[in-house]
Amino acid sequence: MSSDYEISDNEGDYYDSDEMMEDYQNDDQDEDDMEMDDYNDDFRINTGPKRKSYEVDYTSLSQSSVEESLKEDVDHICGILGVDPAVAALLLRHQGWNKESLIEKYMETPTKVLVDSGAAVPEPAREPIVRAHSVDRSAAGPSSRRAIRSNSKLLSSLTLPTRSSAQKSISSPAASASKFRKDAKSSEEPESFVCPICFDDSPELKPVALDCGHSACSGCWNAYTISKIRDEGEHCIRCMTEGCAIVAPDDFVHNILVSDAAPPGSDTNENLVAWTRFQELLVRSFVSSNSKLKFCPYPGCTNTVSCPSATSKSVLTTMVPIVSCGAKGIPRSANDKKPAPSSPSGITSLYDKEHVFCFGCPIESDHRPVVCGVARLWLKKCEDDSETANWIKSNTKECSKCQSTIEKNGGCNHMTCKKCKYEFCWVCMGPWSEHGTAWYSCNRYDEKGGIEARDAQSRSRASLERYLHYYNRWANHEQSAKLSVELYAKTEKKMEDMQITSDLTWIEVQFMKKAVEEVEKCRMTLKWTYAMAYYLARGNEKDLFEDNQRDLEKAVEDLSELLESPIETENIPVLRQKVTDKTVYVQKRNEIVLEDTATGFLDGRWKWNVSVDGFEDPAEEVRID
Amino acid sequence: MSGICRARLSEERKQWRKDHPFGFYAKPAKNADGSMNLLEWEVGIPGKTNTAWEGGLFKLTMIFPEDYPSKPPKCKFTPPLFHPNVYPSGTVCLSILDEEKSWKPAITIRQILLGIQDLLNDPNVLDPAQSDAYTMFKNDKLAYEKKIKQQARDNLPK
Repeated sequence: MSSDYEISDNEGDYYDSDEMMEDYQNDDQDEDDMEMDDYNDDFRINTGPKRKSYEVDYTSLSQSSVEESLKEDVDHICGILGVDPAVAALLLRHQGWNKESLIEKYMETPTKVLVDSGAAVPEPAREPIVRAHSVDRSAAGPSSRRAIRSNSKLLSSLTLPTRSSAQKSISSPAASASKFRKDAKSSEEPESFVCPICFDDSPELKPVALDCGHSACSGCWNAYTISKIRDEGEHCIRCMTEGCAIVAPDDFVHNILVSDAAPPGSDTNENLVAWTRFQELLVRSFVSSNSKLKFCPYPGCTNTVSCPSATSKSVLTTMVPIVSCGAKGIPRSANDKKPAPSSPSGITSLYDKEHVFCFGCPIESDHRPVVCGVARLWLKKCEDDSETANWIKSNTKECSKCQSTIEKNGGCNHMTCKKCKYEFCWVCMGPWSEHGTAWYSCNRYDEKGGIEARDAQSRSRASLERYLHYYNRWANHEQSAKLSVELYAKTEKKMEDMQITSDLTWIEVQFMKKAVEEVEKCRMTLKWTYAMAYYLARGNEKDLFEDNQRDLEKAVEDLSELLESPIETENIPVLRQKVTDKTVYVQKRNEIVLEDTATGFLDGRWKWNVSVDGFEDPAEEVRID
Repeated sequence: MSGICRARLSEERKQWRKDHPFGFYAKPAKNADGSMNLLEWEVGIPGKTNTAWEGGLFKLTMIFPEDYPSKPPKCKFTPPLFHPNVYPSGTVCLSILDEEKSWKPAITIRQILLGIQDLLNDPNVLDPAQSDAYTMFKNDKLAYEKKIKQQARDNLPK
């Protein structure tokens, strides 16, 4: 078991651990025989048909493949409703990409649906719109009328010659593609166009309008569109005229930003950025309205994950849908251009960590084995300063005169407030002067009120201690995981030096890498097992869970210790053997914990000591308070 | 965008001088050196006749962002006004002044000022911006009217 140890940066290429899955059940036996390349990440996109019970089926989609399925939906609607793709896209967006509801509503009241989605001009509202213009009649009024007859050289091949065509769009939307309105050259009145937005009247202005016919120059449209997209993250860009709800279709946005129609003076780069962002916004709106899809939450990542098995809330009580979009690292630009830490062989760092997240909740990391509801409960508890308050409650009292918080750090009961110099008895909180001659022993100690107060204080102290027990271990694993990665960075350097100075091969000095990765992964599991244990109701199941937890913890600590042993050229073969063996063992223990809890969720075996979303409320007696 | 912003504002100024609604005033503020600051306007809005606001002329500062008219101006009563839809800072809360609501680049200064005048006597109770005026408006209409009339008297045009 020496030369067959493999390292692969692209783990997707080598995966042969199906036998591993069958093996691990009878865990402890023949661990020494395990081959090193049997152990691997348990994480893969589209692994074979056999899947561990704590894993979930999912696929990672790139932005373009989401765009594709978006387009399919649009085409589908085009076919059914007989509308133009641009119109279909607007309709779908307005209906939250719910095809069924769109078709149903469209069949009932096509005009209303078209108007509501901003794809067509409402008929009765036409007059008011024109009147709204008349507020600054001098500029907007005539110009909007003129725009229809304007002699601009606009790009669109699709022409909608007169305003009546916009109206026609209500009766037969199929005929009306919302394109640039442009008009055939009109012989009469070549009066110049005045943009109602910037009041520019230079003859080279290009008047542009949506189906509603409210023209403005392309420069204003460009600036407005960019500001909507960039500053507001808005993909629904409405006509610039007051009260007009017509929405700019995608091809209009494209034309105004990145085609020949883009105003000559505009910043090409800014235009392109806005157009890219616009497409991203469309995909995001599509993804967010589809429960089977979730956008990768890592900064700068545009991938989407599809996980059809985790769409309903109820399944989240039986599984933990941890997924990965497959990408790694965070783009430099999204991380204020800090240089990547120099680690040539690439130990897991912030920069090349796989984008692992939970499909079922907003936690952006692997929180197995614990289900979303409990994980959230725990995080909230940790964030809450309720525990700080608890601590203050158990450890301090308030000065009864100035209300300063006082911690008694030893000594007698005769307290003097540092702030207001008030002298009082720590036990009864009464003024010290009333104690008369009974110095240093409070004769009111045994009064009923005093006993009650002390009981309340000790209950609160016990609950705090319980929480701290779990919290300290939780935090410790997180800290240790970080430290072992840091330690490895140093070790790695040393091993590489050794590789140069001795006759060891690169492969032979790499055994630490996998070990560190495994330790880090298991510590994450361990971390969350403490969150789980905190909420598990007392009983046999919890005992078994804690046994598994203990075994894993023991194994991880052993391996951690091995990782810290001094490395010298001569002891490498021995160390390597030990580390490799231990790594395999740790891996198996981790599988057991994950597998057992996952099965437990499926069987409904776990009971909580608090009420958790989706689970039955705990029986009164298991509650701890 | 700055090009559009200033061109638009000077045209607005031209239009306003040509014609504006009775009782209103609107002019760009002066910089320290006496030049005109087009991005900040001082305006006055009269209360409508036959309302509790009648007689008052309420001063307002309009601050235009560089990307006006893509973005709306900020309108702020100076000093702050007792009105359910005016924030304690004096900023007016009105849908046409919110870029994420009804603001459109085609809305003119004239339309904004007329809109704010309408708002004076017709507060939007669904969108309160200060608690004093809102609570009084909801609970004690008489006291509210009285307070508004007093406020109008305090803001007589000079």
